Amino acid sequence: MRSDQEIRDLLRSWVLTKAPELSADGLTDRTPLFEERHLRSVHLPELLLLLERLRAAPIEVEDLRPGDFRDIHTMVDRFGGAGVTP
Amino acid sequence: MSSTANAPKPRLAEAIASLGDTVSRLSHLSKRSYQNPYITLRQWPAEVRPEDDWFSSPEYVSLYGTPLWDTLDEPARRRLAFHEAVNFYSLNIHGEKGLMQGLAQRLYRKDLVDVSEYLHHFLDEENKHSIYFGGFCTRYAKVYRSRQFALEETRSQSVEDFLFFAKTMIFEEIVDRYNWVQARDARLHPVARFINDNHHVEESRHLVFGRQLVTALWGACVPSWGDDTVADLRRQLEQFFVVSWREYYNPDVYADAGLDDPWEVAERAWSAPAQRAHRRAVSTKVLSFLTEAGILDKEPADAF
Ligand SMILES: [Fe+2]
Ligand SMILES: [Fe+2]
Repeated sequence: MRSDQEIRDLLRSWVLTKAPELSADGLTDRTPLFEERHLRSVHLPELLLLLERLRAAPIEVEDLRPGDFRDIHTMVDRFGGAGVTP
Repeated sequence: MSSTANAPKPRLAEAIASLGDTVSRLSHLSKRSYQNPYITLRQWPAEVRPEDDWFSSPEYVSLYGTPLWDTLDEPARRRLAFHEAVNFYSLNIHGEKGLMQGLAQRLYRKDLVDVSEYLHHFLDEENKHSIYFGGFCTRYAKVYRSRQFALEETRSQSVEDFLFFAKTMIFEEIVDRYNWVQARDARLHPVARFINDNHHVEESRHLVFGRQLVTALWGACVPSWGDDTVADLRRQLEQFFVVSWREYYNPDVYADAGLDDPWEVAERAWSAPAQRAHRRAVSTKVLSFLTEAGILDKEPADAF
């Protein structure tokens, strides 16, 4: 089971490969990824697969709301393993 | 405000008009081969035996050429190939669902009245494909879920039209390679062969339409779009390419095939050299089309 910190780090590096205009310094946990168009709808299936892999559990697509992907902090909070004992 | 806000009036009608008699020829062919899928579905067996028959060509199974494939015995390989067939049909169902939505939206749009006859055929044919795919999935297995989820994005109509038809073309070109190979594979169960063969025959019309339309639409729009819009479109198409391929490596399939750590299996298969080479080989035709037309300026590196 990965910790939230590991999930955060892996998400960060994935976002940086997908959004070449963002520098490591420019990307914070609160950077609005979709609102600022660093990521687009077309990134979502790959992002979902990554999140499912990092938490090792499926994510029900029909329950998703657009705000769930706002920024890295929100994603870790929403999909991270908080509360799950290793 | 996006840089496309000042784009000129819709170019889709103009681009379609430039296809000349292709559209009427395709409409004629569609009428001639009009199908009733329910007659075929009635002839399919009540059940199938996934461990006894091949439902996908083994060389087109997503673990082929990876170390994990070598550890599977023949029945396990067939079982995986069956779930992969169900996944392939499922991703066609989800792709065709979006395609039908996009076609329905454009049906009888003021500037598109002249091509509505062909849009009707396109829509009708996709619906029938989904009846075959869905018939197989629901009778013998299930429909795998999609991970596609669209956030609201504001785009000009010309960008929206272009993206819709370009994505449709990329999706259909990749699928068609699988159809073409599997339709000819005598090892496959007759129902699997039929589904692939029938889809290939029908899709050959959509591919002709798609290639011509995407080229014409690009040519008509690109002078007015500006560099930012073009760069943004290219990035989205490259990522669409990646995502289209990612869906062939579905953890839900590996779980159903009885493999442990399905997400890690997906990740390892995606990165395996044999699978990268496979994706590149299957993509060659559509990639050279896109680069020769100037639509992409480099290959989508993340896909390989
Ligand atoms: Fe189709
Ligand atoms: Fe099609």
